Amino acid sequence: MNRRTFFLGIAGLAGCARDTRPRLNVYNWSAYVGPETIPDFEREFGVRVRYATYESNEELLAKVFTGNSGWDVVFPTYNRLEPMRSYGLLAPLRHDWLPNLPNLDAGFRAPAWDRSLAWGVPYMWYGTGIVYNRSVHPAPTRWADMWNPALKGRMTMLDDPEDMLGACLKKLGCSFSSTDPQELRRAEQEAIRQKPLLSAYLNAEVRDQLVAGDVLMAQLWSTTAQQAIDAAPNLAFVFPAEGFPFYCDCAVVLRESHRARLAHEFLNYLLRPHVSARVAEATKTATCNGAAHALLPPAIRDNPVLYPPPDVFARGEWPRALPPAAQRLRDRIWTEIKAS
Amino acid sequence: MRLRSWFLFPAWIWLAALFAAPFAIVMAYSFLTRGVYGGIEAPWTAESYQRLADPLYFAIVVRSFAIALAATAICLVLAFPAALFIARAPRHKNLYLQLVMLPFWTSFLVRTYAWIFLLRDTGLINTALQAIGLIHHPLPLLYNDGAVLLGLVYAYLPFMVLPIFATLERLDPSLAEAAADLGARPLSTLFRVIIPLSKPGIVAGCVLVFIPCLGAYLTPDLLGGGRTVMIGNLVQNQFTTARDWPFGSAISIVLMLLVVAGLWAFLRRESEPLV
Amino acid sequence: MKRWLAAYAAAFFAFLHLPLLTLAVFSFNSSRFTVWQHFSLDWYRAMFHDPQILEGTRNSVIIALLATAISTIVGTLCAYGLWKRGSRMLTGALYLSLVTPEIVTGISLLALFQWAFRWLGWQLGIFTVVLAHVAFSIAFVVIVVSARLRTISPTLEEAAMDLGANEWQAFWHVTLPALIPGIVAAALLALTVSFDDYVITSMVAGVDSQTLPMVIYAMARRGASPVINAISALITVFFGILILVSEKVREA
Repeated sequence: MNRRTFFLGIAGLAGCARDTRPRLNVYNWSAYVGPETIPDFEREFGVRVRYATYESNEELLAKVFTGNSGWDVVFPTYNRLEPMRSYGLLAPLRHDWLPNLPNLDAGFRAPAWDRSLAWGVPYMWYGTGIVYNRSVHPAPTRWADMWNPALKGRMTMLDDPEDMLGACLKKLGCSFSSTDPQELRRAEQEAIRQKPLLSAYLNAEVRDQLVAGDVLMAQLWSTTAQQAIDAAPNLAFVFPAEGFPFYCDCAVVLRESHRARLAHEFLNYLLRPHVSARVAEATKTATCNGAAHALLPPAIRDNPVLYPPPDVFARGEWPRALPPAAQRLRDRIWTEIKAS
Repeated sequence: MRLRSWFLFPAWIWLAALFAAPFAIVMAYSFLTRGVYGGIEAPWTAESYQRLADPLYFAIVVRSFAIALAATAICLVLAFPAALFIARAPRHKNLYLQLVMLPFWTSFLVRTYAWIFLLRDTGLINTALQAIGLIHHPLPLLYNDGAVLLGLVYAYLPFMVLPIFATLERLDPSLAEAAADLGARPLSTLFRVIIPLSKPGIVAGCVLVFIPCLGAYLTPDLLGGGRTVMIGNLVQNQFTTARDWPFGSAISIVLMLLVVAGLWAFLRRESEPLV
Repeated sequence: MKRWLAAYAAAFFAFLHLPLLTLAVFSFNSSRFTVWQHFSLDWYRAMFHDPQILEGTRNSVIIALLATAISTIVGTLCAYGLWKRGSRMLTGALYLSLVTPEIVTGISLLALFQWAFRWLGWQLGIFTVVLAHVAFSIAFVVIVVSARLRTISPTLEEAAMDLGANEWQAFWHVTLPALIPGIVAAALLALTVSFDDYVITSMVAGVDSQTLPMVIYAMARRGASPVINAISALITVFFGILILVSEKVREA
């Protein structure tokens, strides 16, 4: 290859990137839109969407924290809104650009974490529970069942300090978002006791291991669990009796975005009942969009994993954002558990 | 020598902008305070370093050293005979060398992933052992220190083979012959002549393996299943989950110092320049 | 002893290559599990229809080519300059950059780009990734080119200058041609470390710079997928060919 072809080649490669349509950069959880959601939006609005995915809030925060990430729309979990807002990362929502906002379910129109929906549009919600192989007898009903020595090496917990410690706290009858050092220390003891029984601490990658049968019981988010159950009907899911957390991921516009209008168009598009229903159907998530929920096929609309019945729902808890001191103690405890 | 200064000019820019400046910033961060939800704030303090004196972190440092040392030792034991074989091969030396290097050319992630594929409960090894009836329940091969060690050894083995091969190849074969003529048996020739003479290559190989192992974070993460923490994971964790940049920076600085100190102790008597 | 050594070497090469080989074999398996069903190209098809993989590959290629070009030029010039007269500070910095744990390099570069953003308005993207790759691959280039330079006698340049060449001509017509094999090897090394890097890239990447390793990591994190097997088989084949070609270039 001589020099000229080399540089022409580079120029050609760079040339592929040129596209004159307006751009919108969307950073979302993996498996969180339908296959046609983005292409349809691009076609209808004549824009180009750069869509990429992440696997954890930490990954997202590490990226956007610098304020020069280049993303326009991201989907943090609700209890990350306050930290992000206080760091000036979020642009306030313009409700006049979001005419579809009333489509939201009544329960999400004024959520405790963001009463006037000033910062984020609730997108999808889910809880954390236990997914298990039906060959496990007796079937688990409580977090305490994940301390079962008979399943040594065949169980996993989430690789997430909040959920993992939260389950230990719930087992002890404490609040999921406890800030009491004594309670946290007792939870730590539970976690250390459980560690030898676990195969690993895994997030979404456990889905495949549940389907293949490597793992028989796992702490997992209900939506990911539902995806696993769809792939392997011998799996089942339970919301533990001691209580469990609910989460809601919210669509937000970053302050660094130069395309606030287009970003709002995208949020508004996601709020359309048909669009939202398609996403919920394709990805097996519980939508915050009441109008969309009504459009879902009955099998999904009444799925107890995605939309737990009222008595189960009542056991759930929405974890609060933690004060810094408690956060720091939890970080330390997490390191101690990992290092134990 | 005006040409020389022009030639070195871009390298000096590299040194200032992409090496010294980032290092200085991390150094500065390590003396600042964590913000309420992360980030960095005034005032200046050495608190992050004081926190490192904690036995918890000391244990993690010791553990990382132990794992990195074990990986280095295993690499050395595995690589030396292979290097000897290649150095003494009458033909195809280059082919053998390329064969050693080939896995290195493929993606590090892929090499690690290959071991997940082999070691997991429904992985190839367990499936095969069950199929021939040797075991009835899958062996827990993945997600333990052994898997992490295996992943590290596999990833960095070529770095050990190459420098040892380079010194072995330069060894005068008549030395071994002389030892044999004087009545030394092959094994004692190996231990008393060849190995001492190939020390420069062994040292270089150990450095090249030990250092990346010490800072490893992907391998413990993927093959350890989040059950082990090494220094690398600790650093990574401070910059993501814990969002404690000053502490993460302080660990990074200490890690750098450890590496430099170790290197200095290791290479003090080493005369062969790399650059 | 000799026979033992040969047997050991065979086992050694098996250990090095069997894992990747099985991965490649199972990329042709129609099932996503480790039980062989029948031959299929489904995973390759899926790979070529995955926009994230295609874009990641494109980004990786652009980044690797740019980073290789820059670091090969800077590194070669640097090696030549140091060969003429050493500089302890520069050599020390090169050593240090070589032994800095990747995670530390990544974090310090991210911190730098954050500052650059504050004062210069840089966004994280292809540009920052290329700079980061240049930052860590220069040392590799300098070392490989220096090794080659040590085989060249300085008297050649002196002779050329005695015959009337200036410094530049002596470099361009005498030393540089002799350096070509070293430069090719260095560029190849820079290319692979750049194409392969995940840790540093993931720290400094922005919107337009999801590289192939980042895509592979995200896929592995989401759960095993035979598509990863297919990608890895292709990467191995691609680099195998690249090495063969570069060997030919070096021999020529």
